[in-house]
Amino acid sequence: MQFSYEVKDSYAEVKGVGRLNMVAAPKLREVVAEVVAGGSSRVVVNLAETDFMDSSGLGALIGCLKAARQAGGDLRISGVQPQVKMVLELTNMDRVLTAYPSAEAAFGND
Amino acid sequence: MTEVLARRGYHGPATEEAIEALHEEMEALWGDASFVPDVDRMTFATAVIEAAGNIVQHAVPAADKPVEIDVDISVRPDRLVARVSAQNAREPFANDMRAELPDEEAESGRGLALIEALVTTVTFERQDGTNTWILTRESTPAQTD
Repeated sequence: MQFSYEVKDSYAEVKGVGRLNMVAAPKLREVVAEVVAGGSSRVVVNLAETDFMDSSGLGALIGCLKAARQAGGDLRISGVQPQVKMVLELTNMDRVLTAYPSAEAAFGND
Repeated sequence: MTEVLARRGYHGPATEEAIEALHEEMEALWGDASFVPDVDRMTFATAVIEAAGNIVQHAVPAADKPVEIDVDISVRPDRLVARVSAQNAREPFANDMRAELPDEEAESGRGLALIEALVTTVTFERQDGTNTWILTRESTPAQTD
């Protein structure tokens, strides 16, 4: 899985392309830690090109959410695809990880 | 014996490479069995990867030999069946077999609950140093016009 990020005016967007499984999960944690350490604690993880997530990928997202909140910000997700949506719903984590249609919309009203 | 319409498998060391290889094997399986409905592919593949991931992360070798993973996935007329085995492995701890969801802050412990939500039956067998999870999901071919 490939990650990239871009720091925008009011948030940072992290994009993941591929499968967010146990192989990719530690990489996501590293990328978000780097973004937060760089001063951007409002983070959107854009999952539009993430076609698969397992429970370790979900665990990494939760860890990243906690890291962003500890730094005074938040972490939101966007562009959620059907398999990822299913995993979020079956684990009841759709209530914790709020999904937005696009990265722009995630912090649009704050 | 139920007819097997398509079959794929994987055998190798229980490492991260096995997970990526399994994704590829399942993509190939759905190519061989294109009649399997999308929802069944998505749910079953997720359950198989969870079971395999559980072995890679938690299986403890029983002796000097490292744990190996063995997966056999078959498409039958009325269901999908996967046998996901950890060879040369100790019996799992009861803690690893919990199927309840942890609290919202937890960063692990959701795998088994997720598997149970995704498939029709989950069976565990232990024989001769091998732990096997047998996952089945009822699935009938998609109707085509």
